[in-house]
This record gives sequence, structure tokens and C-alpha cells, in this order.
Amino acid sequence: MILITHLQKLFDGKSRVRALDDVNLHIRKGEMVSLVGPSGSGKSTLLNLIGTLDKPTGGEITLDGQRLSGLTDDQLTQVRRDKIGFIFQFFNLLPSLSCEENVSLPLHLRGWGRKQARDRAIELLDLVGLGKRVEHLPDELSGGERQRVAIARALSVYPPVLLADEPTGNLDTTTGADILGLVRDVHERLGATVLLVTHDRSVAESCPRTITLRDGHVVDDTVRAASR
Amino acid sequence: MMLLRLITWPYVRKHMLRCLLTTAGIVLGVAVFVGMHTANQSVLYAFNQTVDKIAGSTQLQVTAGETGFPEEVLERVQSQPDVEVAVPVIEASVQTGLQGQGNLLVLGVDMTGDRSLRDYDLNSTEDATIDDPLVFLAQPDSIILSEQFCQRTGLQMNGKLTMQTMAGPKQFTIRGVMKSGGLASAFGGNLAVMDIYAAQMVFGRGRQFDRVDIALHRGADVNAARARLQTLLGPGLQVDPPSSRGQQFEAMAQIYSMSANITSLFALFIGLFLIYNTFSIAVTQRRSEIGILRALGATQGQIKRLFLIESGIAGLFGSLLGLGLGVLIARGIAGYISSYLGEMYGVAQRAEEVSADPRLLGIALFLGVATSLIAGWIPARSAAGVDPVKALQKGRAQVMSEGENRARKIAALVMLGLGIACVFAGHKPLFFYSGYMLSVLAVLLLTPALCIWLSRLLRPLMKWMRPVEGALAADSLLQAPRRTSGTVAALALSVALVIGLGGIAKSSFEMIREWMDTALNPDLFVTSSESITQRSFRFPYEFGDELRQVEGIEELQAVRTARIVYQGTPVMLVSTNVESIANRVNMKVIEGDRETMYRQVSRGEGVVISDNFALLRRVNTGDMLELLSPTGLLRTKVLGVVADFSDQQGTIMMDRELYRRYWKDDTVNVFRAYLKPGASQSDVRQRLLDRFGAKTRLFVLTNGEIRAFILKITEQWFGLTYVQIFVAVLVAILGIVNTLTVSIADRKRELGVLQAVGALRNQVRHTIWMEALAIGALGLMIGFALGAVHLYYILEITKRDIAGMRLEYRYPIGIALTLLPVMLGAALLSGAGPAESAVRGSLVEALEYE
Repeated sequence: MILITHLQKLFDGKSRVRALDDVNLHIRKGEMVSLVGPSGSGKSTLLNLIGTLDKPTGGEITLDGQRLSGLTDDQLTQVRRDKIGFIFQFFNLLPSLSCEENVSLPLHLRGWGRKQARDRAIELLDLVGLGKRVEHLPDELSGGERQRVAIARALSVYPPVLLADEPTGNLDTTTGADILGLVRDVHERLGATVLLVTHDRSVAESCPRTITLRDGHVVDDTVRAASR
Repeated sequence: MMLLRLITWPYVRKHMLRCLLTTAGIVLGVAVFVGMHTANQSVLYAFNQTVDKIAGSTQLQVTAGETGFPEEVLERVQSQPDVEVAVPVIEASVQTGLQGQGNLLVLGVDMTGDRSLRDYDLNSTEDATIDDPLVFLAQPDSIILSEQFCQRTGLQMNGKLTMQTMAGPKQFTIRGVMKSGGLASAFGGNLAVMDIYAAQMVFGRGRQFDRVDIALHRGADVNAARARLQTLLGPGLQVDPPSSRGQQFEAMAQIYSMSANITSLFALFIGLFLIYNTFSIAVTQRRSEIGILRALGATQGQIKRLFLIESGIAGLFGSLLGLGLGVLIARGIAGYISSYLGEMYGVAQRAEEVSADPRLLGIALFLGVATSLIAGWIPARSAAGVDPVKALQKGRAQVMSEGENRARKIAALVMLGLGIACVFAGHKPLFFYSGYMLSVLAVLLLTPALCIWLSRLLRPLMKWMRPVEGALAADSLLQAPRRTSGTVAALALSVALVIGLGGIAKSSFEMIREWMDTALNPDLFVTSSESITQRSFRFPYEFGDELRQVEGIEELQAVRTARIVYQGTPVMLVSTNVESIANRVNMKVIEGDRETMYRQVSRGEGVVISDNFALLRRVNTGDMLELLSPTGLLRTKVLGVVADFSDQQGTIMMDRELYRRYWKDDTVNVFRAYLKPGASQSDVRQRLLDRFGAKTRLFVLTNGEIRAFILKITEQWFGLTYVQIFVAVLVAILGIVNTLTVSIADRKRELGVLQAVGALRNQVRHTIWMEALAIGALGLMIGFALGAVHLYYILEITKRDIAGMRLEYRYPIGIALTLLPVMLGAALLSGAGPAESAVRGSLVEALEYE
């Protein structure tokens, strides 16, 4: 599903920072993988590169058989809109839009009709347990509820890849566990490939596979039996 | 100062573009003010310079407006013991007909005494056949030119210059060339001097002089001498120092000054809103910075001062740039105003050099800084009032507090109420202008609330057009009325300015056309100059008898127009056969009985005045007018008021006989010719030219040509205002760019999310464009409404204080429709740059932005 070869990312500033260096990975379809490592290890950078939000300095990423290098910005956006769903730590919901509008936003961007997009949004909000809060604004929801809306938005086109950057980092322990359960549920029911960045050891260990990064290198890749 | 260095400077460096755009508002506001007034002052200065140089050592001048006076006045003046020298003068401006040379100012003087008043400083060359000017000027074909004019035209000593005189074309011999400087530099060097009697012949003045220039005996008291001369000559002749001509010219240029003041005020007002907008945004964006400062112990006063100093510096910087730009603008338009006033009033002046008055620059600098400080006051106060705890929390920084919004609405409604009360309170300028200001301020204060209401109205439409981009753009406006309302207010002011001026233009053009249809209906106009506003050359009255003999002419009306001074202001006196005119024209009668008033005027029992004369001089039917004529004071009754657009200062129409009796002037400027049915305009014109062209100076203009000339002058007047509109619109565009730049910075994360969830670059662009269009639309909607109010007031100002013209209220729908694509196009254009910057940035950074 995701093939990464000799991936490199450099940041040019006052001094050059090597965020990722010669990273090689293969993540299979339907896998749920956690990505761990200390701050500055390169995990978010790796997630951004896979999610086509950023471009690598060297190496290659192949997503669902499609090589990402050489694609234009708009072509990368097409890949993102068709194949990737994002879940952010700070939810990144648009404050002026209702839950339903936030979830249907990616569908409208794909040119879906109003009714079709609304039906899908309500279906997804039902899926994440917010069927009764479709018209609420993000400000009127709790942190956990906002993250559920963000998950519903990430699932709007049932993308084959779900990327989550610290999805529980901004939530209390109980809510974090609920959200993680929801992600796992979605993964199992929809069969999506999930890549999850986390600082939380227990969250990481709840995933069948954990990749550890340090100083831009993969230092560990552990596959364990699926656990709940 | 340390706070400025540590807090302000890094912010300025980070937001350099935005700071420059903010300053641009003040730059343009000050530039318009300086440009308009400097140009105006330069024209006035040029006129005064010409007057000064020509006056030489003249201390007093005897004049009678443009009409001149009989020669015997000279002897009476010379008989006064205070008077050392008194010399007659004829002064006329004539077209040279030489490309690029414009007009030539011709002075007719009596060289015998004139040299003691003016220094001619002639070139003495071997070619000079006669050393003594007294002798050479005794030859009636002699002329002296300035060295500058000779160099420009290639004319030389003893060369020949042919001029069209009232006695046909005459050849003059250049018998003197004045050295550059002094008198020779008057009127930009386009100066000619000839013998006074030759000038009388050339210009058809008969035995009249335009002026007597006087030098008093050494030690004589000028004021006392002036009083004695005035008593001797009676009230019909004015005895004044040469500088008083400047005051009269100033009165003529006053219309332009008033218009420049209104536009400058609007431009500064627009600048004020741009600065207010940017500082309000800066305060909300720097809330956390302010919170940290407050947490570290900064007092409210220190925060307030910091922001006020920032706005003061922005104002100072912008004003200094504005001063420079203003002088450049003045250079561009001084020539334009100069030629307009020359054409409109036939006044000799050439504004070739623009020099800014230090006092004006000082006022402009003060206005710019003061405007900036006023604009920065509310943001500075709200910065000082920031709660440090709340400021350090992340949140909706742009949301305007309900309390602030309510306070604005209440203030606006109170102002609106007071503004309406002023309309009914009376016609005193205090009430009128207060009402005007209050109404405009009320609309501007309501702008944030109106922005919210109108954005809500627009949202469904925008969402229907583009479900995502439209909704996001509308929401952006709804979320941050503070960010948008300053720009919308600036835009609305620009639109209102255009609507006001457009409305005046539309109304003026339509009413002038209606007036031309009724009043200017002769088939041909026989004039002594190329332009009907030039009155230097005159026909003898008897010439009309010869013209009447020409085949095809049915009726001929002799008209003498001359500017006279009424209560210190030059107004137009029209003398003609009033009954004959009344039979042919049907001017709209405002006051008086049409059936009887013309008959009474033709019997010399009174005069008819134009509507603008009545309004400007506060005169009504039945009032007595006191007119100064060379033979004494003429007290005459106002018998009627008619709608007449002949002159911006007002017109008095009297019967020719009455005029002749009091002004001792039997000359004519224009013959109005009505043709017999079936007679061809071009044939009669050709016959006139064939028969008289060779023996007298004569121009035959068709009705169409005269109408085109009047429309051209009117257009020229509005041409000036269109320049002002352009500048105002430019300011508004800068405002939109500023707002959108800020809006994008504010919404960096939102736009990042949009792209992260799959928005293509074009979709992000569309969002920004739609926001720009919406700002344009809001500005247009509020501007159209404000324009309706502004138009009402500007029409009233035109009526009561500018030109006394009773223009009808006609909303310029055509101009409003034209503004739609222009302003929306400008808005879209303004959004292009910010939209590109929104799609070019790093997505990762955008998503991390807080």
C-alpha cells in the first residue's frame, strides 16, 4: 500500500536540519501502524510526506501503486483527496461551519451534489456517534466530540489511507481511549490502512505494528499480534 | 522608545507590505490635499505674478471691471495733486495661433509716461533703428516683444508680425525686444507691448481705456490718495492697489477650491478608515503580545502610548511621502486648471512653475498626522483595555464585542437623528454642514453592523454560486467585521464620492443641455474671438447693420458681455435687446412674470438676473441692485430670475440702451444670427466670411460649435473631478488589498485545512476572490446608499455655496451601473495577489499556524 525507499527530507534554515535520512518502509494494505519517537525524530515529517502535504528532498514514496515524485501540486492534491484522510491533534475544524458542513467539505470540494454530500456527512456523523449534533458548530462541542467530527471528515470519501497525527494528544485519558477505539473500529470496519503518530506508549502498543524513529532514522519496526 | 524598538519594529519588519499599504492611505489622502491646493495656489500665484510684473511701480489702478471707461477719466485722475504719473492701459489676451505658444498678453500703453512706471529694459542692438521708444511707439505699427517669445517663435528685431485686428489683418513691425526677466517674464514671456491708440484700434475699443495706472508723489499716503481719487471719480470706478485683482481672481477660483476641499476631505477620510482598519487588526493580532507585556508589568497607559506613537509615526511617514507626491500631482494638473480658468474666464495667467506653500505643507502634514492619530485612537484604547488573561488564551480574536457594536449603533442612530434634525433646523451653514457631517458619520459608524447584515444576505447567494468557497468567503466576512468594515467604509466613501460627482455631472449636463435648447438657439454666432469667453476684441454696434444685409439672415441680436465687479466678486453683465431675445428664447422663469418682466427690462426699468446670481448674492425679485458703472452708481430693480448657465458667478441681463447710457460703451462681443427659413447655415457663414473676413476680425460659429464648446468646458470642469475620483478609487483598492492580505494571514490555518482535505489551488483562489468580490459588493451597496445622501448635500452645496445652480436631484444610475463592474473588477484584481500568496505558502506551516 505504502512503499517508501531512501526517503530524505532536509530543512534549510540558518543551519541545515536532516529531518529524515534514508528511510525505507513498506506498509501493507489494511495495516494499522503506530509511529513513535522523541520530539524532532521526524515522525510528523514522515506523516506529512506520506500525506502529500510536503515534498521529500530525496527518495520515493509510492502510494497505492502511484509514485508521488514528480507530481504537481494539484496532482498531489488529487491523490490526497481520493486516497488520504487526515486526523489532526488540534482537530482543525472550520469554526464557522456546522458539523455536517465540516464533514461534507471534502465532498463538496470533489464536486458532490448538496444532498448526496449531506447524506454522506450524516451517515458518517452517525458512525462516530454524533448523529444528533449535525447542525452544531465546533465551538459548541467538547474536545472529544470535535475529534469525532474530524474523524468523520477524514472518512468522508472512505479513503484507503487514514493518517492521524497525535489524535489523542489534546484529549484527556478517557476521551483519548474512546477516540482510539473509534479509530480502531473504523480501521476494522472499513479496512483502511491507518498510520498513527503518537507519543503515548500505550496507544502505540495497542497497534499491531510500531515503527520507532530517532534522528530521522527508523531504529525499530516491531510487529505484534493484534490486541485491543 | 525601547518598546518601539523591541515590540513595534519587529512587527513592522514582519508585516512590511501591510505597513506600507496602511501608510499608502495617508500618502494618497495628503497627496490629494496638497496636489489640489498647490495646483490652485500656483495658478493664483502665476496670476498675481503677472499682475505684479505688469504693474511695475504702479501704486493704484482705476478700473471698471471689463467694460473699460471713457478717455476723459485719465485727465481727471491726472489733475489730482497726489498723482505723480497716471497712464492709460489696454490689456488683452489674444490667441497667437502659433502651435504650442498659447495666448499672447498684449499691453497697450502710452510710452510717454509709462516708462516711469514700467522698466522695458530693451535689447540695444545695431538693428535698433530708433533708440527712443517714445519715437518708435509713435509709429502705430510698432510692437515690442519679449526676448523669450522671440526665441520661441523665431521672430527677430524689425521682423513682421501679422495680427487680425478689428480693422482687418495688420502687419506690425518688431521695433523692440525686451530682455528676459522683469516685465518681460510676465505671463511666461508671452508679452507684447504696443501703443495705446494702436491697441484701441486693434481691439475695437473706440475711445475707451481698460485701466489707468497711477504712481503717487513720494511720501504721499496711498490710502488717503485712494480715498480722494475714489471720491473724485465716484463709485462707478474702482480705485484699488494692483493686488486687489488677485482677490477677484481668487473669487473665480473659489469654486474649484471648494470642490478640491470636499475631495481632499473625502480622501483623508478614506485614509483614516484604512489606518483605523489596519490598527484594529494589528491590535487583535497582537493580543497575545499585549497580554505578555501586561503580564510583565506594562501599564495601560504605556500600551496606549505605544499604539498611538505607532499611528503617529505611520501618519508622519505617510504625510511626508504624501507631500512629495502631492507636489508631483500639482505639477500634473496646474496646467490643466490654468487652461480651464483661462478658457472659462479669459484671465491672463500661466502656471508654469509649481511651488508649494510652506504653510499649506505644514497644514497637510498636521492633517495627515492628526488623521492618523484619530484613526489610531480607538484601536490604541482597545489595546490598552486588553485583559491579559484572556489575551493569552487562544480564541476568536477578531470577533467584535456585542457591547462595542451596540455602542456604535446607538452613536450612529443619535447622529442620524441629529443629522435629520439639522435638515429641518434651518439654512444656516452651521446646521447644514453639521447635518452633512453627521449623516456621513452615522452611515460610517453603522458600517460594521451593515457589513454583518449584508454578509448574511449575501451568504446564501455566495453558497449557491460555490457551496464551499462561497460559504467560506461569506463566513470570513461574518466572523471578522472589524477586519472588513474599515475597508468597506473606505470603499463606500469612494463610491459615494463618485456617485456625488457623477450625480452633479449628470444633472449639470442635462440642465445645461435643456438650457442650450431654449436659450442658445440662434443658427450662427458672429464673434470677434475664436472663443465666446474671450472678450478682448469688440465690434462697433453699427457693424450689425452691415451684417443684416447679408442674404439669409432674418434677425440679428447684438450682445455685449462684460465682467463687472459686484460686491467684490466679478459677475457677468449681459446687455442686449432684451425684448428681441425674449421673443426668441424661452428660458425657465424662476421668479417674476414672464409677460411683463422682459418688457419692463427693455424699457430700462430694471434687470433680470440668473438663478445662480440670485442664490449666491441672496437677491430676489423686487430687490434693488447697486451696480457700479463708469458714470456712477446704477440703482436698478430686479424684475425676474431665470435659469441661466452663462456664468458660474451669476449673470445680470439688462437692456442695451441702459448699459450704453451708464457704461458709455457701444461695442458688441457677439451677434446672434437667426436665419431665414430654408437658408443654409454653411452658405450664410461663407457669405459672412467672404464679405467681412478681409476687412475685420470675425469668426462665425455655428450653433453646434457653440454647444460643443460649452459642453467641452463643462466636461473640462468635470475632468478635474474625475482625476480626484481616480485617486479615491486607488485608495479604496489599496484598502481591499490590505484587508485581504490580513484576512489571509488570519486564515492561514483555515486555508491550510481546506487544502489538506482536498481543495485544489483554484478552489482556494476562488475563496479569496469571492471574499474580495463580497467586500467590493458591500462597499458598493453601502456606497450607493451613502452616495444618495452625499448627492443631496453636494447639490445643496452647489446651490448655496459654489455656483448657485439649482440642479435637480437625479441619481446617476448609469454611473452606478458602470461602477458595478469597475469596482467589482478592482476588487477582484485586489484579491489576485493575496490569493496567490494563499496558495503558494507551505501547507505544513499553515496547519501549524496559530
